Amino acid sequence: MAAALANPVMRRLLRVPPAYYVFAVLLAVLWVARPNMLNLNIMGIFVRQIVPLGILVLGQLLVMRVRSIDLSGGGVILLINYTISSGVFPGASMAFFIVLALAIGLAVGFFNGLMVGVRRVSAVIVTLAVGIVLVGFVQYLSSGKPPGDVPGMFADIYNTKLGPVPTPVIFWVAASAALSLFLSRTVFGRFVTSVGENVQAAHFSGVPVARTVVLTHTLAGLFAGIAALVQTASIAVGSVRVGLDLPILAVAATILGGVVFGRGEGGVWGPFFGVLSFALLFVVMTTFGVDEPGKLIAQGLIILLAAIFYGIRSRSN
Amino acid sequence: MSEIRKAFAGTAALKGVSITLQSGSVHALMGENGAGKSTLMKILAGVHQPDGGAILRDGRQVVFHRPKDALEAGISTVFQELSLLPNLTIAENMFLGREPTAAFGGVDHRRMRREAGKALAELGLTLDPGTLVSRLSIGERQFVEIAHGIMTDASVFILDEPTAALNAADVEVLNRHIRRLKDEGKAVVYISHRMDEIFAICDTVTVLKDGELVGTRPLAEMTPATLIAMMVGRELADLFPQRGDAPGPVVLSVEDFRITERSKPFSLSLSRGEIVALAGLEGQGQQRFLRSLVGQYYPFAGRVTIKGKALPLPVPSGGGVRRLQAMGVGFVPEDRKEDGLFLGLSVAHNIAAALHSKRSELALAEGYQRLIADTMSSLAVKAGGPGAAVGTLSGGNQQKVLLGRYLAADIDILLVEEPTRGVDIGAKSEIYRLLRDFARKGGAVLVLSRETIELIGLCDRICVVHNDTIVKEMPAADATEHNILDAALGANGTARIINDSH
Amino acid sequence: MTAISRRLTGARGSRQGMWLLPLLIVLAIALWLSLQTAQFLNGENLLNLVPQAMPLVITAVGQMFVILLGGLDLSVGSMISFTTAVLALGGPAWALIPAVFVLAALVGFSNGFIITRFNVHPIIATLSMQYILLGITRVLRPVSGGTVPDIVISAVAGSFLGIPMPVFWGIVTLAVAWKLLYGSRFGLHLFAIGGGVSSGVEDAAHNFGIADRRNIVLAYVICACFAALAGIFLAGRIVSGDPNVGLLFELDAITAVAIGGTQLSGAIGSLHGTVIGALVMALLANGMNLTNVSPFIQTTIKGAILLLVVALQSRKKMGL
Repeated sequence: MAAALANPVMRRLLRVPPAYYVFAVLLAVLWVARPNMLNLNIMGIFVRQIVPLGILVLGQLLVMRVRSIDLSGGGVILLINYTISSGVFPGASMAFFIVLALAIGLAVGFFNGLMVGVRRVSAVIVTLAVGIVLVGFVQYLSSGKPPGDVPGMFADIYNTKLGPVPTPVIFWVAASAALSLFLSRTVFGRFVTSVGENVQAAHFSGVPVARTVVLTHTLAGLFAGIAALVQTASIAVGSVRVGLDLPILAVAATILGGVVFGRGEGGVWGPFFGVLSFALLFVVMTTFGVDEPGKLIAQGLIILLAAIFYGIRSRSN
Repeated sequence: MSEIRKAFAGTAALKGVSITLQSGSVHALMGENGAGKSTLMKILAGVHQPDGGAILRDGRQVVFHRPKDALEAGISTVFQELSLLPNLTIAENMFLGREPTAAFGGVDHRRMRREAGKALAELGLTLDPGTLVSRLSIGERQFVEIAHGIMTDASVFILDEPTAALNAADVEVLNRHIRRLKDEGKAVVYISHRMDEIFAICDTVTVLKDGELVGTRPLAEMTPATLIAMMVGRELADLFPQRGDAPGPVVLSVEDFRITERSKPFSLSLSRGEIVALAGLEGQGQQRFLRSLVGQYYPFAGRVTIKGKALPLPVPSGGGVRRLQAMGVGFVPEDRKEDGLFLGLSVAHNIAAALHSKRSELALAEGYQRLIADTMSSLAVKAGGPGAAVGTLSGGNQQKVLLGRYLAADIDILLVEEPTRGVDIGAKSEIYRLLRDFARKGGAVLVLSRETIELIGLCDRICVVHNDTIVKEMPAADATEHNILDAALGANGTARIINDSH
Repeated sequence: MTAISRRLTGARGSRQGMWLLPLLIVLAIALWLSLQTAQFLNGENLLNLVPQAMPLVITAVGQMFVILLGGLDLSVGSMISFTTAVLALGGPAWALIPAVFVLAALVGFSNGFIITRFNVHPIIATLSMQYILLGITRVLRPVSGGTVPDIVISAVAGSFLGIPMPVFWGIVTLAVAWKLLYGSRFGLHLFAIGGGVSSGVEDAAHNFGIADRRNIVLAYVICACFAALAGIFLAGRIVSGDPNVGLLFELDAITAVAIGGTQLSGAIGSLHGTVIGALVMALLANGMNLTNVSPFIQTTIKGAILLLVVALQSRKKMGL
């Protein structure tokens, strides 16, 4: 095993994020089992469904690159979905809801960032706790019953297409490209890389460590806010359960995409393919009749196996 | 031990070293920092496993997979780094891993305390064995560590720089016990930088240099001078660049600085063109003072002026490094692997890190290709290119990259901790030259090191720190190891050093 | 006096952490509740308190073992649900009860093994285990139902010598935990490993010749087994299997441990502190029920308490 890992070809192959392999394998499975599903229209609909996840992942990969994590996205999505669908702001315009959603996301992310970056509290515990505070709050407001409908204009935009490709998918690709550029071109991107590699060294080379962590969390909150808007538009109704499983899926997709605590080898596109892998996985699982519990097990196993993969690799180096 | 080899992350730490320990003898192991002494002893103690070679005990080969194996084979170690666990009591630390058990498998705390108390008393300490280690001072901890090591029923004892935080009287107590062990027919390995100790208690000396064996000699045949020559491998004068000319204007001045509430105030000034040393025994406040300037510790009182501008104290812990960098001051931390470098990232990223730090997050990151290439060539960094990961370079080249980061960032005052820790002799010489060039071009350097010889050779002025204050200042040209040690030990009529009240 | 203030603030010099303050909080909450509502001091309510608090006490005590060595187990909530589901499978008690513990030990072992051998962060390992177990539980029992063996029910609901059974559960739990933590070399080694981890020298305990990996694995096994014990207790109370009964239990347990003065970075903490922490949580829940606080907002309040407690603990490390 050790000898195989020392082989340069093996090493190079190990550097490729597992998401690409998983994606290729799932595509092959689908191509053999259900070739008729592999057309642009059907695939477009499947991919469109996971756009909220894809956007949430953009935030997740940011915080994971600075060795943090954000599990509060579910709460943020639920809260925004509630404010839009419950009718507490009757007749408000679309722009108002968008601003409100982004503000909620930014505020929650900023709070997470302060706790993790300045108070240095365990990120898992902070963001889990923030998540359940928000979930409990929404359930309290709605007494556990689904709120009303989402204004129609959300669904109208969600259902548009540019050529054969649904608009939300294009939006996701564009957001990913923007983040990728942002990270590779700005000083902030360098800070993120430095903090992720070695917090102490970053501190002693003058990187504003706490500010960088606060900023990544704030941005993650912003992405959660955007994900909430897309998710709300996609289901078109209010719900007291929407988005609750997204944070853990986002962690899974990010790890699968080669971004593990501190290491950013997968960039933005690794996790992007991690999300696509999950889209295909759900299609494959549905076609083979695997239901909800099976999906939970698969999520857990994927995170575990990917983490073990990195654990073995880091030891062999 | 025969033909021991060991490499860390591709860098050879030991290149086939053999050493023979005899019972009833004290064996000194000497060499500069990074020569491989500690690595060799960690292999003997089972902490590291050798890549090659064998350990023979009474002629039979033994293999230690873990520290426990070595302990069971009768090899007891006092490590250089303080490895006591702060949340355990003295007694628990001393018996950790071999606790006596009472009825029903419980730990016999009473017996542990009794025996620990006895061991402490033999070393002349009156500490309560039930005290948590987190409440002890550094000197006390070191003594507990020694008690832990030498009160064990073993036949081989390894003492890795046991006296770094001890005062002269305590060292004498320790020496008495080492002689006792010797009389009892045990084998003792003694690692120290202090010549007087080596000549006082050791019988044989083995010198390592850059992971290779230089030689083993009876100490009776050696003098301190021949021993140093053996360690350094060449005349000292060749190693160091010429000292600077008359220094320029003062750029850093420290007045009435009190590191802690109880320490005496001191003052210090640093001029352009000058390299000033902070010397002294380990843990006497040198590092605490330097790191107070970057905000890691909050000093009790003092005024600091940098290039005519006052530095408000205390410096904030989060942004201290940034504030100083903005004033043209770079801080080079001692532990380059933990605190200094991004080992997994490229040379270019490591050098440019401080350059980026000066700019706003939202600014476009510059490539700095030119500056990085210039820095790499002026420092003669041997690497596959700017894209090579720093972790793959040798210790000396890593250290140069770390220095290069601050030199590239337009800095004119350098605060350097341990500039040559764990680098080979050639790289040392180059680093000394780099620092001297930096000073000659108008920079100022404040340097802290455990190696007194290095400070004498490299610096213009030496400030000896003892008990959180500067006790003596002397021109490096007049300094000798002996008079620095004298001052560092507080021997010139000043108070005794550490915690002598117990 | 100084000794007392040190206890109160949990300053260094104690390995037990700050536990006296939470004890005062317990008393304060109790006092406040007895003044606020007549029902609190009612005999029936007080009798109910013990069984209400017991699952959390048991889980928190197990969680404390992994927290002391600087780890965390997020899979205990799923473990509890899983246990109730297994007990409700419908089989003889003599087979089901040992099976539950064997399965718990297996889960704990997997957690510990993955963490120590593959270098996986405890939070990631146990988080994925949480989902895997939840999935398996939903396969076994998609919605609550089934019946658990009678012996389990009577072991929780009955009484012995006039003393309600839950009291004995508490005594056994605390005795076993006390023996493990304070009456064995293992317990001391846990503190040693945690001391190394929290002071940044991960292999300090290893250098003392302690089999750190084995002890870490054992701590996760103990944690999972205590969760299973809590699961059996809960199954006896609800008389059926429920895939959601353990939901968010891991957070309550972590909150309880943290309230009791145990540092989440390891090394500092105590058994009595953990019990006191669990009592704080149980009293709060009891009080909120008595004063008719909506169950939804109770979740929010508990989350806020967790945030507050962890924010008050300082830590060197940043991130996860």
